[in-house]
Amino acid sequence: MTTPTLSDDRRHLTTRLTVLQGIVAGAFAMLAVGFWVFQVAQREKFEVMAENNHSRRLQLPAPRGVLFDRNLKVLVENQNTFNITLDREQAKSNLSDTLRLLAEVTGTDEAVLKETVNRKRREPSYRPIVLIENATLEQVYAVRVRHYELVGIDYQEVPARKYPSSDLAAHLFGYVSEVNEAQLARSDYSGIEPGAQVGQAGIEQSYNKLLMGTDGDRFVVVNSLGREMRETSVTPPKEGRRLQLTIDADVQRAVEEGFHAAGYNGAAVILDPHNGEVLSLVSLPAYDPNAFSGGIDRATWNSLNTDKLKPLQNRALQGRYSPGSTFKIAVATAGLQEGVITPDFRVHCSGGASFYGRYFQCWKKGGHGTVDLRHAIEQSCNVYFYTVGNMLGVDKIHKWASALGLGEKTGIDLPNEVQGLVPSTQWKRQRFNEKWYAGETISVAIGQGQVSLTPLSMAVMMMTVANGGTRYTPHLLKAVDDGPGWTPVTPPPPKDVVPMKPENVAAIRDGLWAVVNGAGTGGRARIVGRDVSGKTGTAQVISLTGARAMAGKMDVRDHGWFVFFAPRDNPQIAGVVFAEHAEHGANAAPIAKYAIETYFAKLEGKPLPTLTPTPPTAVPADDPVVAPVTPPAGPGRSGQRP
Amino acid sequence: MFERRLYFHFDWLLLVVILVITGIGIAMIYSTTYVTLPDGGHAGPQVRTQLYALAIGLVAFLVFVALDYRLLAEHSLALYGALCALLLFVLIKGSTQMGAQRWIPIGPFNFQPSEFGRVVIALILAMYFGENRRGARNPGDLVAGGIFTGVPLLLIAKQPDLGTAVTLIPVFLGVTFLGGLRMRLLGVLALVTVLVLVPVAWTFALKDYQKARIMTFLDPEKDPRGEGYQQIQARITVGSGGLTGKGFRGGTQGQYKFLPVAHNDFIFSVLAEEQGYLGVLTALGLYLFVILRSLQTARLAKDRLGAYLVGGIIAGFSFQVIYNVAMSAGLAPVKGITLPLMSYGGSSLIAALASFGLIINVRMRRFTN
Repeated sequence: MTTPTLSDDRRHLTTRLTVLQGIVAGAFAMLAVGFWVFQVAQREKFEVMAENNHSRRLQLPAPRGVLFDRNLKVLVENQNTFNITLDREQAKSNLSDTLRLLAEVTGTDEAVLKETVNRKRREPSYRPIVLIENATLEQVYAVRVRHYELVGIDYQEVPARKYPSSDLAAHLFGYVSEVNEAQLARSDYSGIEPGAQVGQAGIEQSYNKLLMGTDGDRFVVVNSLGREMRETSVTPPKEGRRLQLTIDADVQRAVEEGFHAAGYNGAAVILDPHNGEVLSLVSLPAYDPNAFSGGIDRATWNSLNTDKLKPLQNRALQGRYSPGSTFKIAVATAGLQEGVITPDFRVHCSGGASFYGRYFQCWKKGGHGTVDLRHAIEQSCNVYFYTVGNMLGVDKIHKWASALGLGEKTGIDLPNEVQGLVPSTQWKRQRFNEKWYAGETISVAIGQGQVSLTPLSMAVMMMTVANGGTRYTPHLLKAVDDGPGWTPVTPPPPKDVVPMKPENVAAIRDGLWAVVNGAGTGGRARIVGRDVSGKTGTAQVISLTGARAMAGKMDVRDHGWFVFFAPRDNPQIAGVVFAEHAEHGANAAPIAKYAIETYFAKLEGKPLPTLTPTPPTAVPADDPVVAPVTPPAGPGRSGQRP
Repeated sequence: MFERRLYFHFDWLLLVVILVITGIGIAMIYSTTYVTLPDGGHAGPQVRTQLYALAIGLVAFLVFVALDYRLLAEHSLALYGALCALLLFVLIKGSTQMGAQRWIPIGPFNFQPSEFGRVVIALILAMYFGENRRGARNPGDLVAGGIFTGVPLLLIAKQPDLGTAVTLIPVFLGVTFLGGLRMRLLGVLALVTVLVLVPVAWTFALKDYQKARIMTFLDPEKDPRGEGYQQIQARITVGSGGLTGKGFRGGTQGQYKFLPVAHNDFIFSVLAEEQGYLGVLTALGLYLFVILRSLQTARLAKDRLGAYLVGGIIAGFSFQVIYNVAMSAGLAPVKGITLPLMSYGGSSLIAALASFGLIINVRMRRFTN
């Protein structure tokens, strides 16, 4: 091995240094190219990614519009509550630990939290999901002090609905809860984001769009821990429209108090016969709508749904009941308007009468003697109305009942109204493909048989009779506040206008007046100087033979109706009280009386009356529960046909 | 000792560029560690620490300029012994931070001996190959050099600080390459490394998190929240900077801590975010100047000892710069390799300034006997 010379050595070194220079320069060139690709060529992509990293959009939920009564008294407002939320992008890696700790510190069920996360897993991951609605202050503090351990958990102040206490007008207002997936798929819910609170019943549902308002946003910069560093922009939420309802809070309360005092469930509707404005709409038993705002717990929801008394049902427009004697008003109207009878038409009642080979009883054993229309209404004489009904035939009864709104949808601005039924030959043919037997008409004439009607439609009948034939559409919205002030809402057009002859109207009014102020069954609604006019009715829950079979298994006591308007001349209010299992319409009358007193006291600026409970008395022996010897045929009944 | 003639040959230009780079680093540390409060804010404590380190580093620089590098080389064995002793001491008694034992606490500061490994290795290898009158040509030389490098490398790797340990290898390669190592041997070395060391290391030496890092580098999207997080965030940081950057303290990735240890391993990412591609080119240009100027110094060196010394130091330095810059753009697996002169870290800065003292030392003394 030769020792290299120094110059050899030096040359060698120089070469290798040049190689090193080349390697370094090459590496730097590659780095320069690499950075160029990221910083210049793909800049936009990375800018978006950086933006998404640190920018968060937080929704500022808009308060729903406040609901006022007709006198601008606040009915439903908002209060702030706390939601505990989860940002899944932050919590991703240790979500289950976070949920376990959250459940521990807030005293909630971990399984429920997990299920909530799972249920909302399809929502965009950047949007925080609500884990605990309506959180208590203790829960909020617990989350706050463990901010660093509970990665991605935060809390949010949100406006929630505050309904009046004591469940006032629960069915009227309805309730709000989170929009469900079925609704999101519907076109009328377009523009509503998952997680939004929407009206699910009552006014809250029917005027949801007006009430919802527009959510605001807050864009904030967060650091890698999700901590908020600063705010970049804020769009404040726009509160929903304020709505003035046609409801009178005092009348509404009076009706509900009346029911509570008497101990009945049921329904009541009171209308302004001049325009169809709803002054009061009651359904009992009610529920507490506050339980829904801020998330209802499953136990409460289940009990509401399985309750045999069906507290979620709005009986006023979703319950159908046999109208009993109150239907005689429709039959009287039909007889008079068709010209089949005049007010002076007389019938002799001997306690019953035969039609088509069968004997139909009147409720009064000895009979009413000879009565004209006024007295027939006053006494609720079955024989009179059997006779008129027989003369009319079922189709003319159907025609005039419909004109008064019976068996029709009223078109009220509340969701899920059901349609009642007044039978006709056409209906029977379509429904059963059978011929109508003239004998069936006799039962229909006193509101039995297949006749089944909603309390709301009965109120519409009374309104239409009271105003002489204009069937206004009952409605609840009086005015909307768009911001600058109240804008009156154009009321919906009347469903039908069938002018009734004044002498016909007068005769019916006289008869109804006498029911309350004469020898009739409505005496318990009598108010001195108010000329309350009305009619009681009793609806069988079940046929007499059925009642005996079912006795002890269910409440088989009859329902009581009281339909009314007041005063007799130029009526100011018209309505219905339907009291479940009150056994007789007379027991529903005091509820109406208290409401009417309240209404007039308010109208005249007098102090509101106080309720003096009138306990149900012994049933006066009057109404036709026991009327026909043969119970009328119909679905669910014993199947015997006259 | 410090003659006027030496002063005349002092490489002011290199010193100025080095100080400029250090200054940029301090500015970036200031930017990322700034503590924002509702009513203003203040600089983070790291800036002050770095300034202290700069002062100490300048003293070390002066010491390493003033003493003749041949004198230092003569004592390299003692320095080498001291290094190994300190590394052993760290392993046994050092303070533990973030799961690694790297530091010796000295008052308020933590001294990290491994950062001085490169200088000492460069000195002893340059001494060994530069004074034996034949360079590093034979397998025997290679083995000897390998042992010199291997002992501290293993000690550092044991801490565990694989990143710093790996930076010793380019020093060894740089010296032996300049020492005339036959290309064939170099090839064999590379082959052995790939065929033997990689599988062996993968099986026995690498910890699970280290394996995970490498796997993640190959496919960062596989685990965007875990190991791939830093890499993705590094790319976002760099890419979103664009051509001109988001401005001083205007970055979002570093400022809001999306990029971990931004002031340390990822200082260059912050530079790229806030100063943009133009800032990147400027910084790369400064680093390239430092490296090429140093290689020039090696070329001018009076003796092989000087050339090897500079070559070893600058090989390690270049490797660190290239690797860290690549990593800061997510172009290399995330390893704890700092960017010399810019990254936060006192020991690193002091060691870097000391090593440039040696390089200027060699250039300055090129005409002396």
